[in-house]
Amino acid sequence: MSLADVAPSWRPGRPELLVPAALGGLLLLYFVVPFVAFLSRAGVTGVVADLSTPDAQRAIRNSLLTAPVATAVATVLGVPLAYVLARRSFPGKRLAEALVVLPLVVPPVVGGTMVLSAVGRFTPVGAAAAAAGVPLTDSLLGVVLAQTFVAAPFVVVTARAGFGAVDERLERASRSLGYGPVATFRNVSLPLARGAVLAGVVLTFARAVGEFGATMMVAYNPRTVPTRIWVEFIAGGVDAVVPLALVLLGIAVLVLTAVQHLGRVQTVTDR
Amino acid sequence: MTLEIDGLTHRYGDEPAVDGVSLSAAEGELLALLGPSGCGKTTVVQTVAGHLQPTGGRVRLRGTDVTDSPPETRRVGLVFQEPTLYPHMTVGENVAYGLKARGVGPEERAATVDEYLGLVGLGDRRDSSPPELSGGQRRRVELARALAPEPDVLLLDEPLSALDRQLRRELREEVARIQRETGVTTLYVTHDQETAMALADRLVVMNDGRVSGTGDPRTLYESPPTPFVASFLGRSNALPGTVVGRQPLRVEVGGVELAVGTGDGHPAGSEVTCHVRPEALSLGPPGRDGAGPASQGPAGRSPDVPYPSPEGVATARSLQGEVERVADLGKRYDVTVRLDAGDTVLVECRERPPTVGGRTTVEIPGRTVTVFRRGADGVMRAAE
Repeated sequence: MSLADVAPSWRPGRPELLVPAALGGLLLLYFVVPFVAFLSRAGVTGVVADLSTPDAQRAIRNSLLTAPVATAVATVLGVPLAYVLARRSFPGKRLAEALVVLPLVVPPVVGGTMVLSAVGRFTPVGAAAAAAGVPLTDSLLGVVLAQTFVAAPFVVVTARAGFGAVDERLERASRSLGYGPVATFRNVSLPLARGAVLAGVVLTFARAVGEFGATMMVAYNPRTVPTRIWVEFIAGGVDAVVPLALVLLGIAVLVLTAVQHLGRVQTVTDR
Repeated sequence: MTLEIDGLTHRYGDEPAVDGVSLSAAEGELLALLGPSGCGKTTVVQTVAGHLQPTGGRVRLRGTDVTDSPPETRRVGLVFQEPTLYPHMTVGENVAYGLKARGVGPEERAATVDEYLGLVGLGDRRDSSPPELSGGQRRRVELARALAPEPDVLLLDEPLSALDRQLRRELREEVARIQRETGVTTLYVTHDQETAMALADRLVVMNDGRVSGTGDPRTLYESPPTPFVASFLGRSNALPGTVVGRQPLRVEVGGVELAVGTGDGHPAGSEVTCHVRPEALSLGPPGRDGAGPASQGPAGRSPDVPYPSPEGVATARSLQGEVERVADLGKRYDVTVRLDAGDTVLVECRERPPTVGGRTTVEIPGRTVTVFRRGADGVMRAAE
């Protein structure tokens, strides 16, 4: 690596980037100000004491139970769907693609209502499940259903882009070298789309663990961290929200770091 | 036959891409499939590899009908125009990939990888990652990867087209050597007639989804079976003419009567197109008319008058014209001459050509002319 490569690329006198940088900077500022303002509240409350209450503990436990399950379900079903969408055209593909983004474009609270109207206590499915002892609403399973509905599109959309970027000829070469479709997917398509798939999984998890709108409709109880935050806010205002919000933030940072470390996914592009 | 394609037909929707193509390659043969882009070559290759299910026809490998078998069950090596090395594997792992699928043990695998990397001259790059290699090296590794499992047939789909001219020539020699050394039956697909002529034991020329000619390269070049082969394999001048006599065939072109060697089966008086190679033509001083008795008054000649002498058959006949353009290509000149009859012809010429605008004569040796029924040409051209 030569000196020119490692030298900072910032030089004065590149006016062509001035306008976009100024506009982008404004947006960054808008991200950072609320964040800092919110975090500055952390000092004035007893974070640890608040988090050690049974209600908070239960909410954290519930979130840590449901979000990974929702993410796993979304990944196991969504990655194959993403692959098919990236590789094949079939009648009704447009409709399938529209369905994938539907949960993204409807407000989560509406999405939750949709789930509720399909599996609610008074629907045939919901009634049968409740009678069998696995209620689909106001249960951890209900939380998972709500989270999956809202968060799964992220892994499908991201992984689809990843598979789309893998040249199909690489797969054909693998088939001609003696591997069936499944082995080819495992040996070639998946490793090459790994970055995108992992990014999709991270996004899905982040969305699932922070899911509020749909969860509130399908399973207000048992409480997860987001629904608990809502309850705290109603009772105690902004300051009451801080401890659990920090927990959510912590989980997100942990997962992101772990995945980045494991998968060496580039979320920050160095130039 | 190692590879046999029989009546292969494929349509994309309503678009016929390949229409009744039949060809075969014998053990160890290098068969080149030549044709312009969009003529259906790649469709043929993908069908042989099994990545495409043809709408009609059969594909046989070593006598077994594989038309309905998936690609992984056919023993076919495949190299595309675009590189398809796996970036997440080393060079060695890439070459070993196909061996692993066939259940070759680790030790034998390592030995085979070394053998084939050695064959392509990259024995020392086993642990490199594909992005570290140059374009030419990547091509070699792909060849090694395709050859290592010892396929029945090696399919090369425009493998050199993305490379620059110098590298293309080098690798062409490499492909020829590797094919010779391994003796693998090869189907080489290209739109580049120079590559095809240089490499092939036998040529199949395709146009618009159909086979336009099959044979050894020299025969196809010298006596093209169709106007398309005449114009696609090398350069060709097409001149309109009229058959004025048979046995031997005599054709009147631009007011001059030529005795041509080939092209039987044209009735007297029929309209034909005469193809002649630019290098077969030569330029003469202006005003010199085609000497010899045969060229006198072609129009009034009765078709049943016997031809004067066998020697006269091969005599060059001259057409008058004006030099329209001269391109200096270093080792030769390409001279475009507008004939008085209105057509233009391209003449390759070694000596200093006449100046643009000057009068000249074009001499056409009759036996270098290939005669096609008029209209056949139009059809083929329009389809291109």
